Amino acid sequence: MKDESLPIIQIRNCLLVSIQTELHDRLALGLQESLMERVRSADAKGVILDVSAVEVIDSYITRILNDIGKSVRFMGAECYIVGIRPAVAMTLIEMGVELDSVHTALNLDLALEKLELLQS
Amino acid sequence: MKTVETEVGAILAGTISAITQRSIFNRLGGLAARPIQQLTAQDRLAIMAELESSVRLFARRNSAELIASCAQALAGGAAAPGGGNGPGTAGSAGTPGTSGTAGDAAGSTKRLSIDQEKDIATARLEAWSEAVRIGLSKFTSVKVATAVSELARNIIFYGGKGFVELKSTKDDRGPTLQIVASDKGPGIEPRKLEEIWAGTYKSQRGMGKGLVAVKKLVDDFHLDTGPGRGTTVTCLFRGER
Repeated sequence: MKDESLPIIQIRNCLLVSIQTELHDRLALGLQESLMERVRSADAKGVILDVSAVEVIDSYITRILNDIGKSVRFMGAECYIVGIRPAVAMTLIEMGVELDSVHTALNLDLALEKLELLQS
Repeated sequence: MKTVETEVGAILAGTISAITQRSIFNRLGGLAARPIQQLTAQDRLAIMAELESSVRLFARRNSAELIASCAQALAGGAAAPGGGNGPGTAGSAGTPGTSGTAGDAAGSTKRLSIDQEKDIATARLEAWSEAVRIGLSKFTSVKVATAVSELARNIIFYGGKGFVELKSTKDDRGPTLQIVASDKGPGIEPRKLEEIWAGTYKSQRGMGKGLVAVKKLVDDFHLDTGPGRGTTVTCLFRGER
């Protein structure tokens, strides 16, 4: 229960987090903090959050993702959300909430490709 | 030690996401942590009833195989002494005594108390499986789960404690699912409520957009709130047809 955190994987100069668990307040804050720390120490150009295992994204989770996107952007990197399910995307549209502080890509591969293009 | 959670979790790994598994085990309550050896025949029935509906709902492939494996694991492998409740009885879904939802055909009501953060995930999963059970489309079911997630979160963030009630009915116009989310918290002041609907309200924790989002998702929406009265949201999802 205590001290749980999400593993951050580094691929070249990108950081990858796969969200496989319920994102509650504390966990989200911890993730934001450790991501920023890692962006700095690894001189990362991109952060990729894989949400393909997340079956429901509500306005609260959206806010968390946007906050992470903003903080990563402040550090000079870009944040990609990958793997949003079709039904989740439709629901977000209907709710009228925006994922405007992050980029999106269909999958990890495409996100890495886009990040590589950014760097050249 | 081999517990229900470790054994069943090992079988479901890779097929059902960790988030969903968590919710399934939450729904099993104390049974999840129970060692396989100590399960009674009745425990096994209760666990299998829960697993059968969840696995069928969430496994993307070969759910029958998974369910059979779970039954086998619960029986403690090969030598299950006494009871004669061998692994083969996995398909005993309709066994009397299996307490599922009350009144399957006409309509049913389920009340879920929302007391702590983990109840949000449980309520979401319950709502989702109820939506699928009564025949709402896949997209609508995700909308139902999202709406319940918003409402349950509001209860935890602002109301403290409360409940979510799922009422399903089916008539010739198709299935409907009514969601009632209620708490006895401070309620919402009229001025704040105006800001919420205008989209200008920003709370410290959420985005203050939960209610607006729910209103956009549902087919029918009613809000009863005021200082000292608590907050009750009643909304409705209608199936197509």
